[in-house]
Amino acid sequence: MLAAPRLAEEATGIGALGIDPWSLLAYLVTFGLLVVLLYTLAYKRILGVLDARSGRIRDSLEEADRVRQEAQEQQEAMQRTLLEGREEGQRVLAEAREAAERYREQQATQARAEAAQLVERARDEIRQERDAALEQVRSEFAGLAVSAAERIIHRSLDPDAHRDLIDEVLAEGDAQAGRN
Amino acid sequence: MKSRLILLPVLALALLGVVLGPIGAKLLGFERLIDAPAVHLAPQKIFAIGGFTVTNTLLSAWLTCIVILLLFGLGSRRMAMVPGRLQGFLEMLVEALYGFIKGMAGERYARRWFPLLATIFVFVAFNAWMALLPIYPTVGFKAEGADHVTTHLLRSAGTDINMPLALALIAFVFIEVWGFRVHRFGYLKEFFRFGNPVQTFIGLLELISHFIRIISFTFRLFGNMLAGEIVLFMMTFLTFFVTPIIFYGLEILVGGVQALVFMGLTLVFAVLAVAPHEGHKEEHAEAGQH
Repeated sequence: MLAAPRLAEEATGIGALGIDPWSLLAYLVTFGLLVVLLYTLAYKRILGVLDARSGRIRDSLEEADRVRQEAQEQQEAMQRTLLEGREEGQRVLAEAREAAERYREQQATQARAEAAQLVERARDEIRQERDAALEQVRSEFAGLAVSAAERIIHRSLDPDAHRDLIDEVLAEGDAQAGRN
Repeated sequence: MKSRLILLPVLALALLGVVLGPIGAKLLGFERLIDAPAVHLAPQKIFAIGGFTVTNTLLSAWLTCIVILLLFGLGSRRMAMVPGRLQGFLEMLVEALYGFIKGMAGERYARRWFPLLATIFVFVAFNAWMALLPIYPTVGFKAEGADHVTTHLLRSAGTDINMPLALALIAFVFIEVWGFRVHRFGYLKEFFRFGNPVQTFIGLLELISHFIRIISFTFRLFGNMLAGEIVLFMMTFLTFFVTPIIFYGLEILVGGVQALVFMGLTLVFAVLAVAPHEGHKEEHAEAGQH
């Protein structure tokens, strides 16, 4: 037969378990001291470091979120600025085109006005020249007419009276020419 | 191929152990090489200080405490934000235990209960694991005329009923004190219910069940630790080599599980003790309405 484990003590029942108040007290004190020492030496520090680390991780995550949000906002702001710049450029370009067009039209108008002024001045000069020439012709014609009439009637005429007469005739001629 | 080269000698050694052990002796008819191990229910006296007897289990508990304190003391001496190996191990252990307690009791109680509950786990587990060291079953004293160790210098504290009993008493006091602290005298209404005989009986049963916890806590741990020790003794006696290693592995697991069970049950009972009771729920509801 195989050997079976044998009980070393003779005591039986609950007494064989060896319940001892002093040993019990010793274990209570030992465990109590262990709790106090472990709490003082280790638990407090380890939990402190774990708390600090989790706090740092939380802060870092929040910081990362904040930085990401800031970067996104900056990117959005940059895109907004780019868009505004592009719109501003287009606006400036449009204004420049408009101004150029306005200037061109203004210059053209001015040139037209100057040309018209020049033409008008030329006409005035021509008209003056013509009037002067007509006056001269008329004067010469009156003189010629008087001398011709003197030669025809062989007598002296009052030049001033004749001249007025000739002018009157010529004026009527002009009026008729104006009507025609 | 390589694993076979290792496996074959291991199997041969295991078989040799069985052949040289009492099974082989019986089958082959030769004299047993070693005696059957003696099982001691009670711890053995090592020395006495005055009238106080220091047993091998108490000595082991003190040694375990020193090891725990050295481990935790050295590991948490210079706490760094980037931990080393030992600090990392301790942090992992503390974080796991704290998470376990917080998961059941919530943040409010976790901080207050953690030192006691974590120490229960550490104390029970390390006492069980320390007992697996080879010095435990080999170093001791011989009785006069004996050819082998009759009194071991060190023995797992869990196999001494005084240790589980002490922890059970601490757990009991812890649970009841917290129950009383939270509910004040209302806590006693759980046990002393007057007016209705059925309710009175239920209250009495509740009271008894609280005291029964001391016994269940004590004998669960004591039984498991003692059974583990006996299994290791017997497997070593029967098979000598290799096979006991499997049971040593099993005992590592048992030590951890028992520590977790003791701590977990203490936690569960404490949570139940501080949870609002039926009468309190009504009081809370009335207070809420006002």
